[in-house]
Amino acid sequence: MGKSSKKNKVILAPPLPPELDDDEIVVSEDDFDFVKENPEHACSIARQDIKAFDKFVTRVADHDDEKVELLYEERERKRRAAAALKPRNDDELEVDPVDALPVKTLDGNVVYNRPAKKARSGDEANGVKSRSQDKGAGATQGSQKEPKGRSNKKEDSKLQNVQSPTEVPKENLHSVVLEEVKEELSSDELFEKKKAQLAELGMALLEDPESNIRSLNDLLILCNDMDQKIVQLGIMSLLAVFRDIIPSYRIRQLTEKELAVEVSKEVKKTRYYEYTLIRSYKAYLQKLIALEKQPYFYLVAVRCLCSLLDAAPHFNFRESLLASVVKNLSSSNDVARKLCCEAIRSLFRNEGKHRGEATIESVRLIAAHVKLHDCQLHPDSIEVCLSLKFDEDLGKDDSKEDKLKPKKNKRYQNRDVTKPSEKKKIKKEMLSKARQEVRADLRAVSFTLDPKEKKMIQRETLAALFETYFRILKHSMNTSRYKTTSVFPGGSHPLLAPCLEGLGKFSHLIDLDFMSELIACLKKLSGYTDHQGEILPDNALSVSERLQCCIVAFKVWRSNLEALNVDLQDFFVQLYNLILEYRPDRDHGEVLADALKTLLWEGKQQDMLRAAAFIKRLATFALSFGSAEAISALITLKHLLQKNTKCRNMLENDAGGGSLSSLVAKYAPEAKDPYLSGALATVLWELSLLQKHYDPSVSGMASNVLSMANLNATQNPVQLSSANPLEAYNDLSMGRELSKPAGKVLTLKCKRKRRSKEFVALSPDVLRKADCTVGEDELREKLQSHFAVLRGISENERLRTELNHTLSSINMYKEYKKQKKQSKKSRIGRKKVTRA
Amino acid sequence: MAKKLGKKARKFANKHLQGGAKRSRKLRSQFNRRTRKDGKGREDGGRLDGDGDEEMRRSEPTMNTQEDVATLANSLEFPEDENEFDGDLSDSDGYLSEDPECPHYSDSEDGDVVKDCIVKDGLDGQNNEMNLAVKKQKKKLKKLLDKDPEFANFLGKWESELVSHESDEDSDEQDEMDSGDDGVDAGDKNPPSDKILTSKTISEWCQLVSKDPKAPALRNLLNAFRDACRFGLHSNSLSTQRLQSTEVFYQIITFILSEADNIFRSLLDIPDDDKGKLMNLRNGQKWQDVEPLIKSYLRNCLDLLSQLTDNQILTNVLTRLRASAVYFSAYPSTSRRLLKILVHFWASGDQSLSLSSFLMIREVVSLLPDCLDLCLTKGYNTYLSSSKLVDNRNIKNIDLFMNCLVELYSLDVQKSSERAATSVGQLSAILRQVSKSKEKEDLLKIDNWQYINCINLWVRFICVNYKDCHNVHSLLSSVAQIIRGVAYLLPGMRYLPLRLKLAQMLNELLNCNQMFFPVPSLIFGCLEFREIFQKEQTEKTNIHFSSLLKVPRNLLKSRDFQEQCILSAIEVLSAHFAQWSYHVAFPEVATIPLILLKRLHEQTTIDSLHRPLKRLIDQVSENRDFVQRKREVVSFSPNDMSSVESFLEDEKMSGNASFTQYYESVSKNRQSRGRKFV
Repeated sequence: MGKSSKKNKVILAPPLPPELDDDEIVVSEDDFDFVKENPEHACSIARQDIKAFDKFVTRVADHDDEKVELLYEERERKRRAAAALKPRNDDELEVDPVDALPVKTLDGNVVYNRPAKKARSGDEANGVKSRSQDKGAGATQGSQKEPKGRSNKKEDSKLQNVQSPTEVPKENLHSVVLEEVKEELSSDELFEKKKAQLAELGMALLEDPESNIRSLNDLLILCNDMDQKIVQLGIMSLLAVFRDIIPSYRIRQLTEKELAVEVSKEVKKTRYYEYTLIRSYKAYLQKLIALEKQPYFYLVAVRCLCSLLDAAPHFNFRESLLASVVKNLSSSNDVARKLCCEAIRSLFRNEGKHRGEATIESVRLIAAHVKLHDCQLHPDSIEVCLSLKFDEDLGKDDSKEDKLKPKKNKRYQNRDVTKPSEKKKIKKEMLSKARQEVRADLRAVSFTLDPKEKKMIQRETLAALFETYFRILKHSMNTSRYKTTSVFPGGSHPLLAPCLEGLGKFSHLIDLDFMSELIACLKKLSGYTDHQGEILPDNALSVSERLQCCIVAFKVWRSNLEALNVDLQDFFVQLYNLILEYRPDRDHGEVLADALKTLLWEGKQQDMLRAAAFIKRLATFALSFGSAEAISALITLKHLLQKNTKCRNMLENDAGGGSLSSLVAKYAPEAKDPYLSGALATVLWELSLLQKHYDPSVSGMASNVLSMANLNATQNPVQLSSANPLEAYNDLSMGRELSKPAGKVLTLKCKRKRRSKEFVALSPDVLRKADCTVGEDELREKLQSHFAVLRGISENERLRTELNHTLSSINMYKEYKKQKKQSKKSRIGRKKVTRA
Repeated sequence: MAKKLGKKARKFANKHLQGGAKRSRKLRSQFNRRTRKDGKGREDGGRLDGDGDEEMRRSEPTMNTQEDVATLANSLEFPEDENEFDGDLSDSDGYLSEDPECPHYSDSEDGDVVKDCIVKDGLDGQNNEMNLAVKKQKKKLKKLLDKDPEFANFLGKWESELVSHESDEDSDEQDEMDSGDDGVDAGDKNPPSDKILTSKTISEWCQLVSKDPKAPALRNLLNAFRDACRFGLHSNSLSTQRLQSTEVFYQIITFILSEADNIFRSLLDIPDDDKGKLMNLRNGQKWQDVEPLIKSYLRNCLDLLSQLTDNQILTNVLTRLRASAVYFSAYPSTSRRLLKILVHFWASGDQSLSLSSFLMIREVVSLLPDCLDLCLTKGYNTYLSSSKLVDNRNIKNIDLFMNCLVELYSLDVQKSSERAATSVGQLSAILRQVSKSKEKEDLLKIDNWQYINCINLWVRFICVNYKDCHNVHSLLSSVAQIIRGVAYLLPGMRYLPLRLKLAQMLNELLNCNQMFFPVPSLIFGCLEFREIFQKEQTEKTNIHFSSLLKVPRNLLKSRDFQEQCILSAIEVLSAHFAQWSYHVAFPEVATIPLILLKRLHEQTTIDSLHRPLKRLIDQVSENRDFVQRKREVVSFSPNDMSSVESFLEDEKMSGNASFTQYYESVSKNRQSRGRKFV
């Protein structure tokens, strides 16, 4: 009985905090934002808090009532002591500091939790936890610090210091008791509790980072938990906290001089805050980098790293962040790789956040990474560089400024000469000096870079980028002789494709000094050899890659205003040969179409012989491949015919081979060199067949081209479409065609409605077979056996029913006997009755 | 009727025949199919994605619109009309009143007993044993009865109770099974004779009837035929008792089947199967007289068809019955029943049975155009469900079935081209759906035999009817697009067999419309030289591309696969070249394939391929030179279409250029190879 009263006491005793109306609760915007951004976080708070606390309280009440009573008394004493010590702050003390934590209820409202009971027990739980964490070193210290960390803002540390000595002995007793309590708790509850603690600490930090900055340490300690789930939750909460509290500036290490100087309290406090932040941030990063090596935490750690990089690229320790993210760019885990790529891309896109410094660092890291791994990385690790942005006007601006400056100076000088007013001059100088100072200050504060600095960064970035690209090219060249097995997609040169793409994209930024070397490189890669008429079978580059080399070479050449004195003839030869090497399923048709577009369609007037050779080859090509390839070839062909009017002779069958026949009299369809093919002497018979092409757009184009034969050299046929070869290819490619809506099949009246009795699909051979019938004997035998089976079945059935009937009749005999006996008995019985 | 019999037979087998169960299952495997509801049967047949009914609804012919496409599942079947019809003949059981004057011989037929023993089956032993058991038990019962005469009374009471109880049950069961067939002997004024039919009697009747078709014995014979056909349906019915020997059974069946048609013709005075004349006769007196006989005959034939299980007998019966197809046209709903049975036989898998049932169907349908729809739907659906799985054994059957179906569809091109358009629309919608998602499960919707066979069916249909109908022209382009789409969505070496099949289809299509399609581009993959990694195997793995869609992974690098690959590629290429071998642009058509072939010829390490490759290269080069020589002397230009068309017209007509002959030999080779497989 007594026990139950004690129980009641525990539940009822805690003084309830003053009730507050919902209106009175002020929820800051930050809180809302946090809840919005981290719904899982907030939810976990909402889910766990009350339940966990309740559970804890009831459990304590259930088991060790005496101890609970002890606890209770202890608390009372403590409170009295505190009240005695701080009579002034009476009003504040009424509200337990922990109650500052808002709690999201199940229906989604954020409520300030007031019941002191819960707060208290939560407090105790924290105490238990932290003590268990840093055992030995300072069990008392941990608990001592705790209330300090979460103490009310207005309480100064002095007061705490006064309070603590009185508390120490009590705390010891306290802790012993709690230790025992703790042992009773199952791991499940521990987990729940830890979760609650995490949430609580996190909320406190978000609410007021400056005073609660020490909680970071506690959170970090939690991250060392044995429970993997807790660790995961811990690093996630820390991520949320850091994302929120990291300042928008970089924290500088204080010099000794600065440390030596006396500073005000405020500054000290800030310094302490920054110092703690930096230290725990560092510890957190180290933890993350360590965890990243464990498979269980890999994804979470990578996610955290990427998120941090995205949120705080300007902050300290960016280098280690970047290093691990770049390392994971080539991860074999698709999700992690995607995350890292996205993080790096956002880094490139939002240069304002970090003044471009992170960009150059990451590009350099990538370069180092590529070097380290000998170009055997996932293509994605290079592909991210495609999102780099370079200001194209930078170079021009510079030169303009240079040009403008002397002019100004001159004018200045002139003015100076005309108006040599000393006073004014001094005034002006002072003004400009002041202006400069202001500007320097502004620059230091804001993130805008001055063009020079920016240019410098960009130049460095470009240098690192092209270094990577060239390394890859060189590597591809050197290893093309032997095959390496690679785990990454893209054959033995996984990086080549994105590298070529990047070169194409940034071709206008390539230094002219590199140009000739680059072109030579590309030439070699595209498979060109000095020995004519031999294709290297061990050339590991695919047709698409080789085509891409040609395309890049042309793009580079063209984007540098074609000023380069480079002979690109070899690339034409390459293309001429590669057209024959194309295989629809193996190679990418778009690349070929792109090559046709870049090399032939966009080019200026071609050499006549070369144009003729290409025209003939393209026509032949169109005959052997699908409609998309055919149309891109035909468009190119038409373009060539328009540009080279003399080649129109090929459209006509000029008896005698034509007056323009070249040195080679006979056409060699397999020739390696366009100049030696003798194509000019041929007739484009292919077009007559292409007119019968099943695809109406191809056949239409073929007739369109053929119609050029009847026109003057200056006239051009009606333009069917203005699409370039690549567009036309994509338009007709199967994927696109299937995505178009299906054309409805028209139903028309037929000429002949009904067919007479002749057979159309079956061969007479088969029909003859149908008429041969089975021999009479066989038929007889089969029919008879059929009958016999049927008879057998019916006979069997008949017999069976008969047998069953007989059997049951026999069985009835027993029944009959029984009945007989019964009737006898009853008769006897009746007799007895009558006798009686 | 068939349903009922099947039920009964199965029930019986389940109950009593442990040893015979297997045999009867084998014999009557198709009964299982028939007894199931049609929709259910298809579902069981290995449907890819379940819920048949819903999909049936989805595949309504009006589903070409976009919204329907979205909900489209994999179903290709046409919706079937499940209405059960019963008419014309089923009101009577086909019993004919007999002329009592006819001679009956009730001689003892010793010979038969001996003969019956020859045709022994598993039941005989059991029957004998049971006979003994019955005798033993009866003796026991008799003893009991002798011992206690009062028991006889008791038993009598019990038996009468039992009978009344049983009859209740029986009638229930009868109602359940078939209400129409109870009246065997009820309500007939002239009850059927229950005399046992003997061999002698039958021969006598046969003689009488063959002498004079109008002889009254015809009725008796037809009744006997009826009994024979229904033998075994009711174990205790009269028909079972009337027929005792196998010989009699055989006599009746063969005589009626072979002679009935002639007899009826002579009765009606129609010399050949002239439908118009028959229709004219329908109101005449003659028809009135003969009609019951014909009715009985046809009805019983149906019973017989549903009873018989042996393919050969069925073929035989159908061949005989085909002559009388014209009579069926007088009874549309009976014809429908017949057609349903026939469609089932058609898909049965036996070549000759399938063919003869198809011919019968065609005969009936051409006389009764109303039934065409039913047959088209049923035939198409059966084709789809039977072509789900293809292996070396059933390739020929499926091919035959497809050809037959094309025949059937070609009967009324207008009607069937609408159906074809619907089906092709479905195929195309499935393709589009797959191309959108490109997931592995979705790819299975086109990577299956049903889909491919369906395309093949329409390709064949288009080829056959291309010249006659404009509708087919628009179909052609969508079918060609589907073929290209399938090839596009299923790339890679593994799908090479499928690709070859598609290329063959394309060749077929293009041959009929004389359009140009770069077929070789589909199979350039085969012509690449690849290393063989597999070690020498002692046993040769047989790869038959005809029964594969994709090659098992373990065989991809095997020598046999490569060999097959290249041989098939040679066939497809030569078909393509043959199509254009007389065209002025042939040298250019051949340029790129020739380069590849030459390279392959140099590189390949498979000795057996050298000769065919060399032969193709030589033939193509020869033809190229030939065309080149010819075109050097002409004066027209490529844009002169008519001249281009007439180029080498004469040679084409004569068809004895060396390449044409080469191609013929190649295709002959292929056929002989195909025959070897089966």
